[in-house]
Amino acid sequence: MTTKLNSFIGVFTGGDSASARSRRLKVVSYLILGSLAVFYIWPLIMLISTSLKPLTEYLKDPAGLPTAPTLANFAEAWELANFPQYLLNSAFYTVTATAIFIVSSLFVAFPIARDYFKGSNIILTLYVIALFLPPALIPQFQLILNLGLYNTRPGYILLFLINPIGMIIIVNYIKSIPRELDEAAAVDGASYLRYVLRIIFPLIRPAIATVTVLHAIGIWNEVILPTIYLTNADLYPITRGLIVFQGVYGNNWPGIAAAVLMLMLPLLILFMFLQRYIISGLTAGAVKG
Amino acid sequence: MKSKWFSLVSILLVAIMLISACGATEEPAAEPTEAPAAEAEPTEAPAAEAEEVTLRVLVHQNPPLAEYMEQFNADFEAANPGVTVDLSTVTPGDMATVIQTRLSATDVDVIDYCAGSCSGFSNAVQPYMSGVDKPTWQQLIEANLLMDLTDEPFVQNFDEASIRDAGTFDGRVYAINVARVSYSGMFVNNDLLADVGVAIPTTWSELVSACETVVDSGLQCMTAGGGDGWPIFVGTYGLLGAVFPDQEGLVEGLWTGDTTWNEGKGLEVIEKDQVFAQEMLEPGVTSFSHDEAAVRYTAGDVAFLPTGVWQAPILEENAEFDWTYVPFPGSDDPADNQYLFGKYDMSWMIAADSPHADVAKAYLAALADPDNYQEFVDTTGYLPTQPTATLNSKLGQAVAPLLDTYQVGFEQYWVSPKGAGQWANGSQAASWFAPFNEWTDAKELADQIQADLEAGLAGE
Amino acid sequence: MRIMRKNYLFGSGGRWQRLTPLFLLLPGVLLYFLIALGPSIATSVYSFTDASGLKGAPVNWIGFDNYKEFLFQGLASRDNIAATLRTLQFSALVTVIQFTLGLIIAIILNQNLRGRTFFRTLFFIPVILGVVIQGLMWRLFLLPRGGPMATMFGWLGLQSEFLGGQPSEAFMWVIIVQIWANVGITMVIFLSGMQTISEELYEAARIDGASNWQLFRNVTWPQLTPAINTNFLLNIVGSLQAWQLFYVLIGWKPGSQVLGYLVFAEGFGGTDNPAFRQGFAAAASIVLFFMVLIIGAAANKVVSWREQRYM
Repeated sequence: MTTKLNSFIGVFTGGDSASARSRRLKVVSYLILGSLAVFYIWPLIMLISTSLKPLTEYLKDPAGLPTAPTLANFAEAWELANFPQYLLNSAFYTVTATAIFIVSSLFVAFPIARDYFKGSNIILTLYVIALFLPPALIPQFQLILNLGLYNTRPGYILLFLINPIGMIIIVNYIKSIPRELDEAAAVDGASYLRYVLRIIFPLIRPAIATVTVLHAIGIWNEVILPTIYLTNADLYPITRGLIVFQGVYGNNWPGIAAAVLMLMLPLLILFMFLQRYIISGLTAGAVKG
Repeated sequence: MKSKWFSLVSILLVAIMLISACGATEEPAAEPTEAPAAEAEPTEAPAAEAEEVTLRVLVHQNPPLAEYMEQFNADFEAANPGVTVDLSTVTPGDMATVIQTRLSATDVDVIDYCAGSCSGFSNAVQPYMSGVDKPTWQQLIEANLLMDLTDEPFVQNFDEASIRDAGTFDGRVYAINVARVSYSGMFVNNDLLADVGVAIPTTWSELVSACETVVDSGLQCMTAGGGDGWPIFVGTYGLLGAVFPDQEGLVEGLWTGDTTWNEGKGLEVIEKDQVFAQEMLEPGVTSFSHDEAAVRYTAGDVAFLPTGVWQAPILEENAEFDWTYVPFPGSDDPADNQYLFGKYDMSWMIAADSPHADVAKAYLAALADPDNYQEFVDTTGYLPTQPTATLNSKLGQAVAPLLDTYQVGFEQYWVSPKGAGQWANGSQAASWFAPFNEWTDAKELADQIQADLEAGLAGE
Repeated sequence: MRIMRKNYLFGSGGRWQRLTPLFLLLPGVLLYFLIALGPSIATSVYSFTDASGLKGAPVNWIGFDNYKEFLFQGLASRDNIAATLRTLQFSALVTVIQFTLGLIIAIILNQNLRGRTFFRTLFFIPVILGVVIQGLMWRLFLLPRGGPMATMFGWLGLQSEFLGGQPSEAFMWVIIVQIWANVGITMVIFLSGMQTISEELYEAARIDGASNWQLFRNVTWPQLTPAINTNFLLNIVGSLQAWQLFYVLIGWKPGSQVLGYLVFAEGFGGTDNPAFRQGFAAAASIVLFFMVLIIGAAANKVVSWREQRYM
């Protein structure tokens, strides 16, 4: 029995040896993956088929495959929801806020992870508490209003320059980088700024990539904040444009489905691109060796 | 490569400083130096220039309304050179919050008040209610955020009942209501009834036996959008209105304790709700969203569709049988089953602090103009609140004779006492019976409803 | 005054150079104080007032009245306590299952399997799609008549109303969708954490004759500590605060609410009496905050304890 348990687990902890046992255990892996994947692929197919149906057909038969698939919803979404202009806005907000956030949080995370000064633990606790914090929509609104940043791009971006989850991920990741590296660099005469940017930053690429994706998704998909903070239509992100598909008692789901499928493409591409960094094997040897 | 990183980081750090600095100064349209997109336009034209006015209008999301507003705004701009109408749309769910923020920022001139369930001014705090909060619109008025419209000529275009019930507070008019809806009736498939040999039921007993006959013939009696939850109990609003034609009185009775849910007529409603939910509705209604149920109904094998008049367009487009809309016969006395109950839907208001008061009033005057209003009714399908307007659709003709006795429904008046439990609102009982929720016995549910209600009443 | 600890080794230059990390840290922390902490403190203050949030409306201090109303008034306490218990139940189930499943998937996908990019992306797609679309997909999947799950149930001879039926069953389905939607995040965090585990550690252990289970327990698990801690904390806190899936999947159904939903409803109108009540909404959200704080602090303690053990 224990040997079976061992071999079952063996596939997960070893590298890939070329034995037959390893091949059998890969089959187990694929079985698990496959059965889970069914519950991801099937709903996705239903989403795609929804986007290919005209509204009346969807209302008659929401679950079935489209009888006469049409791309009309996509075209409609592109026009009605003002995709080109709003897409640019969304991209601008996402890229700017994410870039600023990553850089600023790198310089917050590192001293905290290394416990360089007396207050570092308190600050980390404050960030953890930030996770628990209740939504503060109206006070935050009043702050932005008083700063004179209501209905402006900088004001909107300001809202996304913080992300406690991202901070915690980066801090925890830095903790897994041994301090000996710091010592070696200091002995070599490197400056703090250079060390963090040129040595640490590449080493924590997986965490940075993870946080970049999560943060970008949060900004890209945000609906409530643009409704409140951006009342000038020129500033709308694409999520604001999707409102055209909502009704009073029911929504135009095929339209929404088509719009979201288009909307998610940039994020999907971003994720697939960043996957290489999330799973970069570079760090393994350099760090712990 | 590495120096590129370094310079990029330095630029970004400088940008951080810039943004913080930008906030401190009074430059609302300033942007960071590396912004590639176009400049944001100033949100308000300077008040000094009377020529160029941007009128900011906030409406709720409703596709036919959007269609109407687009045309109306174009016409208004053409008739008023120098005026640009800036239309923003939000969902009713977000409306209350957005009204609050935009009024605080003085960022709105004309408001379409359709927040939450869009109910006009019906849910005022009555004298017999204690310890309840003032409704949102009353808070707006008392904070002096809404313009007093009492003396405006366009108010007279609307019928008295709508002005009184949906737009007046403390003797002054703050909103003009432009839309009624009714939800207390049911669509009837005339062809199906004829095939089965049943007349349109005018009493509860007739409805019950009609249902039995229909089901015996292999067809379905009723359907509803059970998947969305609320269509189940909205389908019983007519039932409630038939048993308690004085809906305002019902609210008072519940508050004072004269009427209870677990005795007499109150219990009668709960028991009938059970019959409705478990015997009349076809099995599997939880598969349908609200709109899907209406489309389902157009297939032609269901006799009745208890829902609101807003579903008429779906029927008009898809139904190939002859249909009409009648009050839900909840009582055994036909005289009680003749009323349409509903709510006042969207109303127009003006922000008190609007810098463009004259233009805003002109805007409302144009909305209230009988020709424009008729167009509005034609496009949106709302029941009209102007005596000169008529709803020319098939539905409009069906309900026209009933409009004179139109009443506001219970759920518009109802205010829950604080501390009432989650089961306190008996008008939703139909959605609490199995299979939709856990209750299986009408008396037990009624007792629970009454207990939950009394918990709140006792607290005050 | 010595601000920097002795372990800060950079900067042989003067005092100002030694303070470089502090200067670089300030913008981020200041932003945080300004945008997040400040408004949240304001929320706590609001909770003791009857503020409506409207411009020009009077604001009065009313002490704990809002809290009394939310927690104790009439049968509100029964409903709120039930919601709290449900929230704890929800969080416990979601955390345990999502954590375990995420770990398993990450381990599997860390190998050199063919198609691993495909699977990683697939499991992450719900995160990209967002709550509303997650709700749409599962509403379709769980259609009681004609939906795929109903068909599968049919093969087993079962029948169910799924989301439209009994509150307890609908509740269970929301748990499943919540896990389904967020396991991708757990997986990604574990995957990135696994990159720091070097192959040599495994080799050394294998040479010492360790069995596979021992490899996992003695090498993988300790080395993954930061990722484990992150996921543990995020899972717990996220599931305690979650309400949006409830909103899109089952709406307001008595007997199924969780505390986050109650807080949202009180603040933004999902119950019978919509009113501008910033003060009350603030009190409700502070109550939720305290619950999350207590549990989150406990979780954080566990996390620090584990850190000391393993790092």
